[in-house]
Amino acid sequence: MFPGATDEREETTAAADADRGGHTDTRGRASDRGGANFVVVGAPLDATTTFQPGTRFGPQRTRSHAAPFDDYDHRTDQRFSELGVVDRGDVRAWDDVEAYLEYLTSALREAVWDDSVPLVLGGEHTVSLAGARAVEPDVFVCLDAHLDLYDAYDGNPLSHAAVTRRIVEDVDSVDEAILLGVRTGSEAEWDRAAADDVTVVPPEDVAAWSPGDRLADRDVYLSVDIDAADPGYAPGTGTMEPFGLEPRELRDVVRAVAPDADGFDVVEVNDRDDGQAAALAAKLVREFVFSHADG
Amino acid sequence: MAKQQTEVRDLQEGSYVMIDDAACKINAYSTAKPGKHGSAKARVEAVGVFDGKKRSLSQPVDAKIWVPIIERKQGQVVSVDGDDMQVMDLETYETITMRIPEDADVSPDENIEYLEMEDQRKIV
Repeated sequence: MFPGATDEREETTAAADADRGGHTDTRGRASDRGGANFVVVGAPLDATTTFQPGTRFGPQRTRSHAAPFDDYDHRTDQRFSELGVVDRGDVRAWDDVEAYLEYLTSALREAVWDDSVPLVLGGEHTVSLAGARAVEPDVFVCLDAHLDLYDAYDGNPLSHAAVTRRIVEDVDSVDEAILLGVRTGSEAEWDRAAADDVTVVPPEDVAAWSPGDRLADRDVYLSVDIDAADPGYAPGTGTMEPFGLEPRELRDVVRAVAPDADGFDVVEVNDRDDGQAAALAAKLVREFVFSHADG
Repeated sequence: MAKQQTEVRDLQEGSYVMIDDAACKINAYSTAKPGKHGSAKARVEAVGVFDGKKRSLSQPVDAKIWVPIIERKQGQVVSVDGDDMQVMDLETYETITMRIPEDADVSPDENIEYLEMEDQRKIV
């Protein structure tokens, strides 16, 4: 369970007996349900990772590295445990990505229908497609080292390297994508990024970036690929790309966008470090919640 | 209430299901693989037939679930009185009073099709 959240994981005998570390499916509607402002859902998909795998451990690791954080946030004068965050556990992943995304979308849509903000813990970046399908935003804002604009990577249109392309082109509601911290992509991806519906803000310009009124009165989905951060700060990710963002730059973007955001995820965290990537991811989840609640 | 029991695995998009004691039409059905420690589960997204409210449920595929028995009937508008209309069931010739939906424009002698479950009715 995410520290400070209310545990709404499904209670199953198997989960209790096997100590599955929250590896439960999100449960269905229950009579005591209601009142949640934010719904944490783990999405441990690890099917199309292209270099170093391990995102299947992301949700569990992100939750565990949130443990040392104080409940109280001095900046906003709020307590995390009082902001209506519930954790519905993980939607266990399997290798049929299309079917998994369909099921995950349904689980996230339930949160949206309940007027809650889904907080997705990845898992590879592909899970953002489920988040975007559930939230149906106008704008997709994404912190990422990579463009993720492949039409298909190794022939797979649902690869984590194609997720932004899928969201921009296949989610009907999405008008545009704003990609912050991007510093690499194929030639074809850069060609696609030159179109009017994609804005790329390179790492050196992120500190000065502000959404202004660009997101006002629009539905927004915010995705954080942890590899947007410089690998020195978040080595626990599958496709490290040097010359990245400072953690405080990621934090400031999350703070700026969160008040307008209807859905959030932090993805691509794996278990290949001493917890740096997961700690940063967990802190960004909390920054999102504090800023959204304060906005 | 007219309903029958089935298993979640037998539900499909377009069919009906009871969620929170309301008859709903299913618009999305997806299943998760069971893995080693769980049972295969299904998620259902549906919309209330008579109230239009979105509802969802998540259950093991072998769980029992109630399906409402909803009849599709033919009727003829006998008369219109303000927001209500008198409709004659073309099968039983019974006359019933129905509220005219806001988006419907009906006139006497017009044939209509409606869904009926006990005392709940909705023009198709």
